[in-house]
Amino acid sequence: MWLHFVRFSRGPPQVVVDRKGSGLDVHSEVVKVLRDTLSLKPGGAPMAEDSPLLGAIPELDSMAVVTVITTLEERFGFIVADDEIDGSTFATVGSLVAFVKSKLGA
Amino acid sequence: MLPLAGGGRFCIFHPAAGPSAAVGAAVYVHPFAEEMNKSRRMAALQARALSAAGISVLQIDLLGCGDSAGDFGDATWPIWVADVAEAVRWLRARTGFAPFVWGLRSGCLLAVAAVAALESAPDLVFWQPVISGRQHLQQFLRLRVAGELIGRAGADRTGTAELRAKLESGATLDIAGYALVPGVAMGLDAADLAPLPARVRVAWLEVSSAEPPELSPAARMRVSAWQAAGSDVRPVAVAGLPFWQTQEIAECPALIDATTSAVLRWCA
Repeated sequence: MWLHFVRFSRGPPQVVVDRKGSGLDVHSEVVKVLRDTLSLKPGGAPMAEDSPLLGAIPELDSMAVVTVITTLEERFGFIVADDEIDGSTFATVGSLVAFVKSKLGA
Repeated sequence: MLPLAGGGRFCIFHPAAGPSAAVGAAVYVHPFAEEMNKSRRMAALQARALSAAGISVLQIDLLGCGDSAGDFGDATWPIWVADVAEAVRWLRARTGFAPFVWGLRSGCLLAVAAVAALESAPDLVFWQPVISGRQHLQQFLRLRVAGELIGRAGADRTGTAELRAKLESGATLDIAGYALVPGVAMGLDAADLAPLPARVRVAWLEVSSAEPPELSPAARMRVSAWQAAGSDVRPVAVAGLPFWQTQEIAECPALIDATTSAVLRWCA
């Protein structure tokens, strides 16, 4: 893992980054972003590879799509151009994960 | 009011208070557009907490922002950078302490840019820093085209690329009620949270909904780059909501506590 957890005598738990780093679980990162930005309850909508998104999750309207894109950009550090995405990017969890992986060059 | 070129900048000065003697000083640099409004309360709460801990704080509204002179469209990125440097000079003269610069979101980009304009490199506090100005500009432009993203096919869109081209040709865009001028947009576009050549201390704080709280992968990579360049960077993640963008005004007490204890270590 990337992180060590240490606790100082005062203040909240603090996280210190390990410089070594390691692989990234893109699927679970993407699911985390979807659950957070759409305020989905854990155990609610299924988040398997082939789980449908657009049209199946009512919370995912056009503004929510923008929020998901923005959050992914900031978490992973890439920039999404308009012509890179359309409805098919958000068809399933798997299609969104595949898009993120392509942006990461992974 | 700080009298600077283009008119007065509205400032709030929180002198060091509390039981102990004054121990330091800080300049707060606010974020861009609507994020500034959303984060006013957190900025004020942190400023009061620092003041009570013996650290004087100067909050400056940049040219054309908040209660400062000028309109948003009068500003340029270099003017904002100069505003930050002037605020640091004023606070240093007033308190006798070398202030650290505390930025939120794109305020961190301005803080880093202001270092080159200052006589000595200040320590830095980053709150959820914007790492790439280009990414931040793209996200702001996207507000104008949100409805089109998943609708029409690629070729029919008035996309962000077209908006960028307009800015590059000198046009001003009206986005979310802000007059986005090329002088601001192009400066933001070129800004990057690159490691400084000067070795400084950096408290890098982010809020997270993960359990336990964690920095984003992008932030972890950039922290490593700053550390490799020789700066003393302490990353901290705390539980909380993204208060700079939430619909309702949100508070994040854990961030305030973590920030205060991080900077008090510098003042010890």
